[in-house]
Amino acid sequence: MNSKQRGGEDEDLQYVILCRKGDANAFDVLVERHQKKMLNIAFRIIGDYDEACDVTQEAFVSAYKSINKFRGEAKFSTWLYRIVVNYSKNRLKQLRGATKNADICLDDLGELTTKGKNNPSLIDHSNPGTQMERRERENQVQRCISSLDEEYRDVLVLRDIQGFSYEEIRDILNIPDGTVKSRLSRARIALKDCLIKVIGDL
Amino acid sequence: MKKCEEIEKDLPLYLDNALPSAEKQVIEDHLQSCPQCTKTLARLSKTRTMVNNLAEVEPPAWLKQKIMTRVHKEAEKKSLLRKWFYPLRIKIPVQIFATVCIAVLAVYIYRAGEERMKEVVPSSMPAPVAEVQKSSLPESKIKTSADKALPGEEQSIKIKERPEEMVRQADVKAKDVNKQIASGVKADEYDGAPAVKSFDLSGTDLEKKKESSAAMKAGGTPPMQSSIPKPNFLVRAANVNAAATEVEKLLVKYDAKNIVKQVAPARVTLRAELKNRKMKDFTERLGTVGMVEERVAPGTEENIPVLIEIINN
Repeated sequence: MNSKQRGGEDEDLQYVILCRKGDANAFDVLVERHQKKMLNIAFRIIGDYDEACDVTQEAFVSAYKSINKFRGEAKFSTWLYRIVVNYSKNRLKQLRGATKNADICLDDLGELTTKGKNNPSLIDHSNPGTQMERRERENQVQRCISSLDEEYRDVLVLRDIQGFSYEEIRDILNIPDGTVKSRLSRARIALKDCLIKVIGDL
Repeated sequence: MKKCEEIEKDLPLYLDNALPSAEKQVIEDHLQSCPQCTKTLARLSKTRTMVNNLAEVEPPAWLKQKIMTRVHKEAEKKSLLRKWFYPLRIKIPVQIFATVCIAVLAVYIYRAGEERMKEVVPSSMPAPVAEVQKSSLPESKIKTSADKALPGEEQSIKIKERPEEMVRQADVKAKDVNKQIASGVKADEYDGAPAVKSFDLSGTDLEKKKESSAAMKAGGTPPMQSSIPKPNFLVRAANVNAAATEVEKLLVKYDAKNIVKQVAPARVTLRAELKNRKMKDFTERLGTVGMVEERVAPGTEENIPVLIEIINN
């Protein structure tokens, strides 16, 4: 999934250097390359497409503003993803604080904000019946992801949805290897339990 | 053998093949004999598949546009910042430039003010003395022995011709002396020194010295500018002499006393004493003669001494 991101050289670096020299158009390439991943990370952490778009935008602008602070210790993409993860977490806190819905109740079967009405890619054009079923299933999974503790959710989104390696997750979240593993382990078990609760037997 | 709970904890990592081979072996051994844990593993695997199968969302077309619009704005800001704060590519903030500019401006303004001061100061110290020296002084009727008592010709003139003016500036003691001079009493009956002292700041000692030398070289002493009163009115007229005659007539008309006229090339000085109540009318009529500039406001006593200087415009 993330095989394109691997490789010894950071292909983004030349554009980063151009940006630093004041060439704002070079940033266009970087946005083009990473916007989808940025958006999906934000979307799975927050669970809302519009909010995810907004957060992605903020994260990119913030990255541009502080592009001089990027030291090249990790890959530029890793740095970008760290920004979007942090922005997403903050946005989620704001949203939950605002709606006073700090705990998402699993028994609450009300419509989740993950509904794909704004998102054409979520619509499966093959079969209307399957499409409905699939959307419902995705809603349930997303709801369970949203119910996880923050630290478990981040690891799970990065590993099982985005397919980052343990090392990349360690760099993005800035936590030790062992912590990545233990969190991922607990996240998967918690998610499994949640899905059993919501869907029934898997 | 590990308990199922402990095995379950490791199952997610086993799924990722992220366990050391020893632990992996333990789990595999356990799974063979534990249908419960095998089921858990299957569920975990299914969970991972479900999560993995979540559809990816596509970014809307406007997202990049919006981002780039804002990025270009930021870039402008950055370049502006660079322009203003690092104009010479040196990290001198614009504030320092502003400070330097203000300092330069302040010095410039100060200099300009000084020049203006130079213009103002000398004109406020007119040189009637010089004129008096030059003039033939036909009106100086009381050219008496005061000449001897005073260092120079101009000093005597001052006493005789502008007594009242001197009195105004003098202390009470000197006033008495001057009044007597003004009323025609011979100046030589009095010690000249107090009178001089009354309008000359140079002090008695100096005056006395001059007194002693006055007899030998009358008229040879330097002019004493500090004792010269400033004109109350400065009249600019095309024809100085004609204007002077006009003013003289006016003075007569308004019952002025002690009219003294001094003529110098392109300048006529008139001194007189006017009644307070006539002052206003006289000032108004003066305007008909020429351009009037009121320099020093006349006093408010009953009899006001006025000094009118008429110059060529």
